[in-house]
This record gives sequence, C-alpha cells and structure tokens, in this order.
Amino acid sequence: MVRSPRTAWLLLAGVALAAAPALAHAIAEDNASYVQALDGPAVAAFTYLGAKHMVTGVDHLLFLVGVVFFLYRMKDVLLYVSLFTLGHSITLLVGVLGEWRVDAYIVDAIIGLSVAYKAFENLGGFERLFGFSPDTRAAVLVFGLFHGLGLATKVQELTLSADGLVTNLVSFNVGVELGQFAALACVVGVLLWWRRQASFQRSAFAVNALLLTAGFLLAEYQLAGWMLQA
Amino acid sequence: MKRIAWATFGALAAANAIFFAFVLPAEFGIDPTGIGRTLGLVGLAGAPPEDVHRTATPLLADRRAFELAPFESVEFKYDLAAGDGLVYAWTATGEVVFDFHAEPAGAAPGVAESFAQGRADADRGTYVAHFTGIHGWFWENRGVATVAVSLRVSGFATGAAAYRDGDAQRIAIGARGERSPAAIP
Repeated sequence: MVRSPRTAWLLLAGVALAAAPALAHAIAEDNASYVQALDGPAVAAFTYLGAKHMVTGVDHLLFLVGVVFFLYRMKDVLLYVSLFTLGHSITLLVGVLGEWRVDAYIVDAIIGLSVAYKAFENLGGFERLFGFSPDTRAAVLVFGLFHGLGLATKVQELTLSADGLVTNLVSFNVGVELGQFAALACVVGVLLWWRRQASFQRSAFAVNALLLTAGFLLAEYQLAGWMLQA
Repeated sequence: MKRIAWATFGALAAANAIFFAFVLPAEFGIDPTGIGRTLGLVGLAGAPPEDVHRTATPLLADRRAFELAPFESVEFKYDLAAGDGLVYAWTATGEVVFDFHAEPAGAAPGVAESFAQGRADADRGTYVAHFTGIHGWFWENRGVATVAVSLRVSGFATGAAAYRDGDAQRIAIGARGERSPAAIP
C-alpha cells in the first residue's frame, strides 16, 4: 500500500519514467529537426533534451541503479553521483568542442559493459572470484567518462550551429544532471523502502544478476549494431 | 563463490539467449534460431531493401519551365504512390532558394518531409517515394533578375499540381510521353 504522499509521488514518477521510452523514437526525430534549425543559444530546448536523454536512457539509468544499490548513506550517494557527473561532464564538453570522432556503437557497448561491471562488483565477483577489489570510486569516474562520450556522440549526431554551441552544450549538460537527479530520486526512494523489507536480502543477489544480464545484453546489442552498420 | 560464478555465467547465457532469439531478429532482421520468424519478429527491422519495385503506373516523361520574377516563387509537385520513383534534373539561369519535399496524402496542411533545401542553380538525382502523396519542389527567386527554372522528370507520377501566388492548379499529365516545355501562367 502507498503509505505517504512522498511514496505515492515516487511511484507515480516511476510509472511516468517507465512509459517515457515508448514515446522516445518518434519525438526524437522532431526534436532533432527543431534543434538543428536553431541558430544561437537555446537554453530551455537543450536543457530539456539533456534531461529527456537521461530519463529515457535505460543504459544510464541501469548504471545508476548499480552504483547506488549498496550505498546506504546519503553522503556516499552524493560522492559517487558527483564522481559520475564529473566524468560525464568532462567528456561531453571536451568531446563535442574538441570534435572527437568516436564510434557511437563502441562507446554504447562500453556503457553496456559498465552496467555489467557494476553488477558484477555488486555481486562481490571481483573479491570472491579474483581475490581483489578494484577502487569503486575510480571505476565510477572512469565509466562516467565513457557515459559522457556517449552523450557527446548523441549531440554530434545533430548538426548543430556553432553559434551558441557552448551555451547549448552546458544547457544540455545541466539538463542531463536534472534528469539524473529526477531518476536518482526515484531509484533511491524505491531502494530506501525496499531495504526495509525482508525480501531485500534475499533478492539483492538476483536483482544484480539481472542487472548483469541487462548489461551484457546492451553491450551485445551495440556490438551487433557496430558489426552490421552500413 | 560458486554462486557468483554461476550467476555470471547464467547472466551471460541469458543475455545471449535473449540476444539471438529476440534482439537480433527484431532489430537487425537476422534470425539464426528461427524463433524470430515463428514469432513474427523479423519484420520489425524493416523489410530488406528490394532490388526491384514493380508498378502498374505507366512511365511518364515530363518537362516544365517556369519564369520567376524577383521574389516570385512556384511549387510543382507530382503524385507518386509509395515505392514509385522519379529521376529528376532541374536547372535555373540564376541562383534560387529551393526545397525538395513531399506531403503524405491526407495529411494536415503544412505536414511535409523535406529532403533537400538550400540555394543552388541546379540539382539532379533519383527519388523513391516512401509514402503516397505529392512530391516535388519549391523554388523562389531571391535575386534582382528574372530567373528561368527548367525541370525534367522521368518516372511513375500519376498527376501533378502547380502552386503559384496562393493558387493550386491541377495539371493533367498522361502517359503520352515527353511534352514540349510549357510555361505555367
């Protein structure tokens, strides 16, 4: 049962979040043609696109779920999310402004693997199977860099006017953070509630195994796109 | 420890199973297991490109000529069914602003897909209609001198329409072959 207005709001946001990707494709084409026709700074449009990209991007969302899964203290959530944000902001800005040409499929495959990596780490795989634990903060930062590269390739798919590019990129990045914040609020809300349930201990392992599956699947999907691209 | 190894292999196996059974046929039209065809997923990736699209429409060759005084514009479009195409070439005696676009049949006014736009004094190419509707060009003379635009088209159009000064005019075109250049009033 819904126990408080806050929980109800979170549930509602979760439903809206789940429904959004269904609409993503058709609208995205209209978004693209609108943004490409713009010349000069368009703060609101790019902020919205950034937020939308984050909220409808299942790869970014699953990675965040993996990152905060075992973070019990808000201080740690803030630290890890800041590292992730730092990473993807750097490569988004540098990648687009420096006109880096990286293959979107390869970057998206690495992003898929970042989900698998985080799930494997949550399962205790590194410790138990290989006897060492890589630095979790460094991993989040490095994968943050790859997620930012993924964002950069999406922005580069649009042929954007050089006029106001920096303003628009920063707006896009701000949108990404807003979208990330909204998504995280839902994820952390659900986790806070779920950890108090008896089922959490039993199903945490299974959920991370599912996360691992999803990560592998995302990576395979992108690699197939890379191999079969025209 | 055994549990983690099993979970990892299980995750990889599950991802592979989903990938080969569903994702590959649905997204890429490749169906190694045959499950995609059984479930009807293969069509989701879009039909493989046809080498030949056969049509019942007679072949048409058409020529048009327009005179555009400064700041005049004209729009000329052909009726094409989805899958039918045109080979086209147009030239102008001076630079014009053009927009090669198409409107789906029955769409609300203003709904159009644009394929090429810009300023040029010539363009040519091959066009295949992805939807049934009207497909053609808008030209506008932004210069100070009168410009003559001439268009040659060969393809499977069933009709045409000219739009000038806010008036739409249906143009009868038949399968009678190439017409002599005719000015649109």
